[in-house]
Amino acid sequence: MPVIHRRLFLGASAALLLGRGAQAEPAKGEPITMGVSGPLTGPNAQYGAQWKQGFDLALEEINNDGGIKGRPLTYVFEDTQSDPRQSVAVAQKFVADPKIVVELGDFASPASMAASPIYQRGKLVQFGFTNSHPDFTKGGDYMWSNSVSQADEQPLSAAYAVKRLGLKRIAVLHLNTDWGRTSKDVFVKAAKGMGAEIVATEGYLPDEKDFRSTIVRVRDAKPDGIMLMSYYSDAALICRQLKQAGVTLPIVAASSVFSPKFIELGGDAVEGVHTASRYFPDDPRPQVRDFVTKFKARYGKEPDAFNAYAYDTIMVMAKVMREFGTDRKSIHDGLAKVKDVPSIIFGKATFDPKTRRVDGAMNVELVVKDGKFQLNDPKAAAR
Amino acid sequence: MSSWIDYTVNGIIIGNIYALLAVGLALIFGVSRLINFAHGSVYVVGAYAGFLAVTHLGTPLPVTIAIVLVIGGLLGLVIERFGLRPLQGYAHIAPLLATIGISFVLDQLVQLFFTPDPRAVPSSLLEVRFQISGGTIGALDLVIAGIGLASAGLLYYFLRYTRLGWAVRATAQDRDAAQQMGVDVDAVNRTVFAIASGLGAVSGLLVGMYYNYIDPSMSFQATLKGVVAQVVGGVGNVPGAIVGSLLLGLVESYGIALFGTSYRNLFAFVLLVIVLVWRPNGLFASKRQTPPEPMTGTFIAPSKPVHIPAKVLAGAAVLAALVPLVFPHPYVLQTLTNSWLYALLGLSLTLIAGTVGLVSLGHAGLLAIGGYASALLAIKCGVPVGLAILSAGLIAAFLGTLMAFPAFRLRGHYLSIATLAIGEIVSLVILNWEWLTRGPIGLSGIPPLSLFGMELDTDRSIYWFTLAVLVVLAALQFRLLSSHLGRVLRAVRDDDVAARSYGIGLNRYKALAFAVGSFAAGISGGITSHLYSYINHETFNAQLSILALTIVILGGMGNVTGAIVGSVLLVGLPEVFRVAAEYRVLIYGLVLLLLVRFRPQGLLGTV
Amino acid sequence: MSMLEIRGLTRRFGGLIAVDSVDLDVAEKEFVSIIGPNGAGKTTLFNLVTGLDEADAGTVKLDGRDVSGFSPEKLAALGVARTFQHGRVFANLSVLDNILVGAHVRFKSVQPAWPGPLSLLEPFAELALALVRPGKVKAEEAHMRQEALAILARFGERLLPRRDNPAYSLSYANRRRVEIGRALALGPRLLMLDEPTAGMNQTETAEMQALIGDLKKAGLTIVLIEHKLDMVMQLSDRVVVMDEGHVIANGKPSDVRNDPRVIEAYLGHHRAERTPIEEAAE
Repeated sequence: MPVIHRRLFLGASAALLLGRGAQAEPAKGEPITMGVSGPLTGPNAQYGAQWKQGFDLALEEINNDGGIKGRPLTYVFEDTQSDPRQSVAVAQKFVADPKIVVELGDFASPASMAASPIYQRGKLVQFGFTNSHPDFTKGGDYMWSNSVSQADEQPLSAAYAVKRLGLKRIAVLHLNTDWGRTSKDVFVKAAKGMGAEIVATEGYLPDEKDFRSTIVRVRDAKPDGIMLMSYYSDAALICRQLKQAGVTLPIVAASSVFSPKFIELGGDAVEGVHTASRYFPDDPRPQVRDFVTKFKARYGKEPDAFNAYAYDTIMVMAKVMREFGTDRKSIHDGLAKVKDVPSIIFGKATFDPKTRRVDGAMNVELVVKDGKFQLNDPKAAAR
Repeated sequence: MSSWIDYTVNGIIIGNIYALLAVGLALIFGVSRLINFAHGSVYVVGAYAGFLAVTHLGTPLPVTIAIVLVIGGLLGLVIERFGLRPLQGYAHIAPLLATIGISFVLDQLVQLFFTPDPRAVPSSLLEVRFQISGGTIGALDLVIAGIGLASAGLLYYFLRYTRLGWAVRATAQDRDAAQQMGVDVDAVNRTVFAIASGLGAVSGLLVGMYYNYIDPSMSFQATLKGVVAQVVGGVGNVPGAIVGSLLLGLVESYGIALFGTSYRNLFAFVLLVIVLVWRPNGLFASKRQTPPEPMTGTFIAPSKPVHIPAKVLAGAAVLAALVPLVFPHPYVLQTLTNSWLYALLGLSLTLIAGTVGLVSLGHAGLLAIGGYASALLAIKCGVPVGLAILSAGLIAAFLGTLMAFPAFRLRGHYLSIATLAIGEIVSLVILNWEWLTRGPIGLSGIPPLSLFGMELDTDRSIYWFTLAVLVVLAALQFRLLSSHLGRVLRAVRDDDVAARSYGIGLNRYKALAFAVGSFAAGISGGITSHLYSYINHETFNAQLSILALTIVILGGMGNVTGAIVGSVLLVGLPEVFRVAAEYRVLIYGLVLLLLVRFRPQGLLGTV
Repeated sequence: MSMLEIRGLTRRFGGLIAVDSVDLDVAEKEFVSIIGPNGAGKTTLFNLVTGLDEADAGTVKLDGRDVSGFSPEKLAALGVARTFQHGRVFANLSVLDNILVGAHVRFKSVQPAWPGPLSLLEPFAELALALVRPGKVKAEEAHMRQEALAILARFGERLLPRRDNPAYSLSYANRRRVEIGRALALGPRLLMLDEPTAGMNQTETAEMQALIGDLKKAGLTIVLIEHKLDMVMQLSDRVVVMDEGHVIANGKPSDVRNDPRVIEAYLGHHRAERTPIEEAAE
C-alpha cells in the first residue's frame, strides 16, 4: 500500500515539474493545479492516504471526461503532518505559487485555522473539507468547507437515540478534541431538548486504549444507552471493553465510525452498534453505486467516509471551475454561486454563502449486523 | 460499593500491563544505569512482528511468542551495540538522549513500512471470561499476568542464584569493580538488553492482542507509562517495578473513578513528579544516600567553543535583516520567521540546559504557557498585543520557574524525566481547565500581531519583528554569559557540589536561569499564538520539546549563536527540501543520535 | 577560644558508623593535620564540617558561633574554603574563571543583600546588574581579575600561561593547583585541604608542600588531610589520627608518630592496610 501512494505522490510532483497531469488522460494542455495541505506522515497519516484515494479516483473520472475545458486537473500534496507550524509554511508556499488556484485541507482544524490568515490575505480559497470546527469558516470569506458541521449532524444523532431507540438516560463518551467536544455539546443540548437525560459524559484522549474504569464510572450512572463521539479505532476499543465488562446496552456512535476498520478492530463486540452515515455503500443512488464500484475496482476495498469526502471535494471543485472559471477569484466567487453539485455526502450540494458550508447532509441510519453495516430495520431497534 | 472492587481490579489489570514494560526497563536500568526510551519502540516492533506472524504465518500463540521474543532480543542487541555501548563513560543522560533518537527512528520506520493505520491482532486464545464482581477478566488477562509474574520470578531467580545473574548485579552496583573481578561487563550488558527487549517485544504482542489493536504511535505512551511505573517503584529494582506498575494502575483507576477519564494521564504524571521529588530513588529505597559523585549530572561535552567575533555576528544580523529586501519570497520569509521563533526557544533551552545544565525535556510547556497567556490577555482582557506578548514572557518565567522548582534538586536523567512529566502536565491542565482555556476546542480568533496600534500584516513586518526580538534577546543572553553571573551559572552546571562550597546557592541560580530562559520561551509562544490565530493544547507538544533539545545540542550547549544556527538548519532545511517531508521525524531522530554519539559538543562547541 | 570547635560529631550510614563522636579544636593560625587509614572517616568529617553532609549528632562552632547544619554556601560566606579528595574543578570554565568563581562570596557589588522579604528580589537585582554593569560593577570585576592573576602567579609558570584554557585540558597536578587557587580566592579564614597531593609525584608534592608552607607562614588557619606522613610531620602544629570513625590520637607530630595505637592502626589491622611508607611512595 505505501509503495503505491509514494509512487503516486512522487509521480504527481514529477508530473507537476514536467507540466503534465498526474495520470494519463485525454485532456491535454496546461494542468490546473490544486494545492493539498495534509498529513502524509505523523499520527494522522492514514487519513491523508485515504484522501489521496478519493482524489485520484475523482480526478481519473474528470480528466477522462475532458478535464476542465480540455485541461487536466491535478493536485500537489504537501505533507504538513497536520501540524500548524507546517501548514502555515505550506500556506505561504501555495499563496506565492501562481499555479495553485485553490487549496484543499488541512486535516485537523488547528492546522487549518492557523493557516487561514495567510490564505485570507493571499486571497486563495482554503477548502477545509474535513474541518468541522465551528469557527473554521469564520476565519474569513476565503474559508469554505463541505464538511458536515456538528451543528447539523448531532441533532440527527440525538433524534435517532431518543426518538427512534427510545433512550431516556444516555451516557456520552467522547474524544477530548475539538471535534469530540463540540459534537458532545451539540448532542447533549439536542437530546435534552427532546426530553432525555444525560447521565454521564466522559472525555478521553485520542491515544487512550484502556477504558475499563471509565466503563465502571459510566455503568454506575445507570444509563439505558451509550453514545460514542469517537473515531472508528477508539470506538472499536470501547465496544470491545464494554462487552468484556458485561455491558449490553444499546450503543449509538457518531458517523465517523463508519469504516470497515471499525468492524475489523471491533470484531463481534460491535454487533448491534447503531450509527448513521452521510453515505452508505449500499445506498441505491446511482451516483453512490458508481463511486463504490469504481473505488472497489481500483483499490480492492470499499470506500469509507474520508474517501467519499475527498471524492466529493474534487467534484465540487471541478463543477465550480467548469462553470465559473479557473483562476483564484473565480473559484472564490463561484463557490457562492454554484448550485446542486452532485455529491455523495449531500445528494446535491449548495453552499450557504453566509456560513460558507453546505446544509442538508444525507442521513442513512445503519446498524452493524452479521459483521457488516446494514440499513437499520426499525423492528430490531434494541440490541 | 462494589464499584470500588471493580476499580481496584481494573487498576491491577492495567498495572499488570504496565508491569510488562516496567520490568524490562528496570532490568536495563539496573545494569547500565540508563533509562531506555527506545523500549516503547521495541514494544511496537514486537507488536507488529507478532501481527505478521499471526496473520501471515498463522502460528499458534506459544510459537508467536517465541518468534517475537527472538526478534525483540535481536533488536535489543542491535540497539545496545550500536546505540549505547559507544556511549559508555559519558554522563548517563547521553544514552537517554540517544535512546530518544533511536525511538524516533524505529517508530518512523515502522510507520513507513506498515502505514499508520491501526491493525487488528486476533487472539488465538479462547474467549473465556471469568466473572469478578461487576466485570470480567479474560484468558488473556491471566496469560499476561502469568507471563508478567513468571518473568519476574525467573528474573529474580536468575539474578539471585545464577553466575550470570550475580555478574549482572555486580555490574549494576559497581561496573569498574565488576570488571576488575573478571566480569565481562559487555557480555552482561548485552544479555540483559536482549532479555529486556525480548520481554518488551512480547509485551507489545500481548497488549496488541489484548486490545485487538496496534498502531505505530503507541510507542511514546508505552515508554512513558513504563518509565513512570519504574520510577515509582524504584529505578532498577525489578520487584519495585512490578509494585510501581500496580500502584500506577490503581492511581489511574481511582483517579478516573473520582474525577473522570480525562484526568487519567494527569494522575500518572503528577504521581511521577511527586515520587521524583519526594523519593527520587523510588518508594522502596532508603532515604539518606551518600553524597553524590562528581560530574554525574548533566550532558556536557567538554570543548572550546568556536570563537565568532562580535563584528561577524553583527554583520550576520544585518544580512538577516536585509533578506526581505533581497529575497522577498513569502515562502522563504515564512520559513525564516519560523526559524527565528524556534531560535528563541533554542535560546531559552540552551541557557537552561546548556549553560546551567538542567536538561529539560518539557520545554514545550513553556511555549504553551506563553501562547495561552498572551492569547487570553489579548482576547479576554483586550490587552494590546505587544504588551500581551511581553506579559506572557513574564508569566511564563514565573509559572515555569514555580513548576520546575521542586525538580531542581534532581540530577541527570531524573531531572529530565521530571521536566518531561511537567511538560505533559502543563498540556493536560490546559486541556482540562476548560473554564480558562476552552479545553480541546482551543482559542480561536487570537488578534494578529500588532505593535503600538499598528498591525503587522505583511510577511516583511512579521519577519522583522521576530528577527528584532531574537536579536535583542540573543544580545542580552551574550551579555549575561560574559558577566560574573554567567560564570556562576556555568559553575553550577560543571560541578554543583564545588559551586555550593564556594557560596553559590543552587536553587537561587537555577531559578534565575530558568526564569530568564522561560521568559524567552514564553515570548516565542506568545508570538506564535498571534501568528497562528488559533491554538489548542496540542499546538505545543512533546515532539517540539525533543526538537528543541536537538537544536540546542546541534548548535552546542550553552552556545547562543549555535542555538540560532541549529534552528535554521533543523527547521529551515527540512522546510526547503520538502521532498524529504515524509522522513522528517526520521531525520530528527538520526541527527540526535549521531550528535550524541559523535559530536556531543555540536557544531559550534559548548560554552 | 578555638576558631573551630567540634564536639561529639557523629554520622552513621545504616549500621556503619563513619564518624563516631569526634571532638576536635583548631585554634586560629594553627595547622592541624588529620591522618588515618582509608575509610577512617576523614573526608566524611570534612563533609560534615563544611555542610555537604548532615550529622546525626554533635555540634560544630566557628569563632564561637554554632554553625551545625549550616549549608556549604553559608559556611563559604563565613570564610571556610575546602578542596576535594578527588579534585573538583569547573571543567568547562577557564583557569581564571575557576579562580574568580572561588571569589564569589567577595563579589559584593553584584550581589546586593537586602533585608527580610526584600531578599526575594535579590536575584532580579543580580540579573539587572549583570546586564547593565554600572561603574562599581566594572571596577570590582577588574579588581577581582587582578587578584585572581596574583593568585595564579603563586604557582609560577604552571597556571598563569594557561589562564584562558579550560580546566579539563589541564594535567591532573595543575587541576589540583587550580583547586587550591580557587580556595585562596575565597579569602578564607579556615582552609580545609583534602589530600591535595594525592596522585602527585615527588617533585610536584614538594612544590605543593612549599606552597602550603607559605600559606601557613602567611597566617592562614589550615586543616589538612594527607597520607604523606613526611609532609604532615613537617608542616603540622598538631596531628589528629582517626581510625574507624574515631580519634585515636591527637597531639604534637613527634608524639603521634610513636604512639603504639597509631602504628597498630596503620600496620596491624585486620583490614591489612598498607604501611605509611608505601602510602607515601604512592
